[in-house]
Amino acid sequence: MKSIKITALLIAGLGLSACGLDQGMRTGTERSYDAGTDSKHLSQLVAGIWVDQDGCDHWIVDDGIEGYLSARLTPDGRPVCSGVAPPNTVVGPFREGSDIPDRL
Amino acid sequence: MASGAQAQTGTVVGEEYTATIWIDPDGCEHWVMDDGAEGYMDARRTRDGGAVCHRSEICGVIPTDQLFATDEAWISEAAKSDLMSFFQSANAFGYLIYGHTDARASDEYNMGLSQRRADMVASVAKASGVRVVDVKGFGERQPRAQGNSADALQQNRRVEIYCIR
Repeated sequence: MKSIKITALLIAGLGLSACGLDQGMRTGTERSYDAGTDSKHLSQLVAGIWVDQDGCDHWIVDDGIEGYLSARLTPDGRPVCSGVAPPNTVVGPFREGSDIPDRL
Repeated sequence: MASGAQAQTGTVVGEEYTATIWIDPDGCEHWVMDDGAEGYMDARRTRDGGAVCHRSEICGVIPTDQLFATDEAWISEAAKSDLMSFFQSANAFGYLIYGHTDARASDEYNMGLSQRRADMVASVAKASGVRVVDVKGFGERQPRAQGNSADALQQNRRVEIYCIR
């Protein structure tokens, strides 16, 4: 009985290795780090550009299990709509921050 | 920035949730948190809505005295060819071009003058075959240097060019 539990835990651990076994249980400054096999401080994220339906740019990061999206802004806070790609398109190295394969 | 915060009375029922800063390739800051499975990110802004960015993102600050006569927005052929060679060698994907003035005339006049000057620089950029992403005049509202010394006024008369990759 006990060994079955351990096996189940190990499988769960492998399956969730992108984010560690602490899924949803992190507190405070632990949230500044990506844990698991591709662990790093979040300042090391590598971004691409996603272009929204209005033609404006957003930084997109695919960090294994987590995904991030945040607006690209001019210095005074307006959206940057650079024309780097057509609407609903993503460009750049946004998946390079993680070795975890992505099935999307 | 903290001066606008309301004083809290009573007990706030909440959970500690501390973000860190991610700096995008333009040099601007974003709040980022990794909750284990979920990740969250949002742009960091000043209270007036501006992005929080670092100076290194600027790839050219041109004192307008080099380009324009006082109160003028036309540009000499020599200055135009200097600007064209800058745009052709900067090797960026696109440019954000912002005009600024000193505070010697009315705010309204300076908004117009800085817009005309930014538009002129943008037209040179387009003639050089590069992509202009944003053009705006800020008048005297975003001084680079404080005070009314000749040096401060001269620093504030400028066109800032941001390169985006």
